[in-house]
Amino acid sequence: MFGRSQIARFLIMPKQNPDAELALHKLGQRIREGFAKKHPTPDKSFDTVRDAVREQYEQDQAAEREKKPAPDAAKDQERQPPEPEQDR
Amino acid sequence: MDELIKLVKTYRLTAGVADRLRLAEDIFRLIEPNLRFFVFKAIRPPAAEDVLQEVLKAVAIGLRKFSGDSREQFWAWCYRIARNKLNDHFHGQATNRELPMHQDELWQLVESSAQVSPLSPADRHDLEYAMKLVTASKPECYDYLWKHFVFGLAYGEIAEEQNLSYDSVRMKIGRCLDEAKLLVS
Repeated sequence: MFGRSQIARFLIMPKQNPDAELALHKLGQRIREGFAKKHPTPDKSFDTVRDAVREQYEQDQAAEREKKPAPDAAKDQERQPPEPEQDR
Repeated sequence: MDELIKLVKTYRLTAGVADRLRLAEDIFRLIEPNLRFFVFKAIRPPAAEDVLQEVLKAVAIGLRKFSGDSREQFWAWCYRIARNKLNDHFHGQATNRELPMHQDELWQLVESSAQVSPLSPADRHDLEYAMKLVTASKPECYDYLWKHFVFGLAYGEIAEEQNLSYDSVRMKIGRCLDEAKLLVS
């Protein structure tokens, strides 16, 4: 029945000011959602992000390489002949 | 766990470049619009686009170093980067004042959001009231209300930005809210 519908109840309700904080939070959320809808992330932004991720990845790899000794250097160390025993 | 923070945590642990790229795309699809909004409210285009790209680059580069555990901490970290980039743009001058938006412009954004989730009459009533509160506020209060309610910055983040204590920001926002309520009553 129309008289019981939510809209009708809203229309006959005395107009009271809503909870200010709740209303402002709601407004903020709507504005952010509306802005995101009107301005979907452009390719330019994704390109910037991809470049930065690759740059960071290269830096991480370089740092890893610096941390670990090069495989050849490690092998050379293993192959070094034992120290000659000191004369007793 | 919140989707955004789950993606960020996974990104931190991911070693392969292909996986990092995929995760970064998902993360930035979620955060870019808010960062864009934040930057474009502070500077006008075309400079705003350049600053935004710098913000995105800095966030992407620092993503693996972000050590927080919550969505709130992540947003605080992102907004801190954005604020620093804005300050760099203005050569260290404070950039605390937002460019005020016209009420028509705000309603257009609200109507755009309604295309995704429709507005009930009660929602519309609440939003009209909130709009009156924001637009009736004096400039300083407008800034605080805007930062807290529209950008969604927590008291702590505003306190850090304004170099104030948490409590003084909380009280300022409370006073601004009371003042705005009186102005529209």
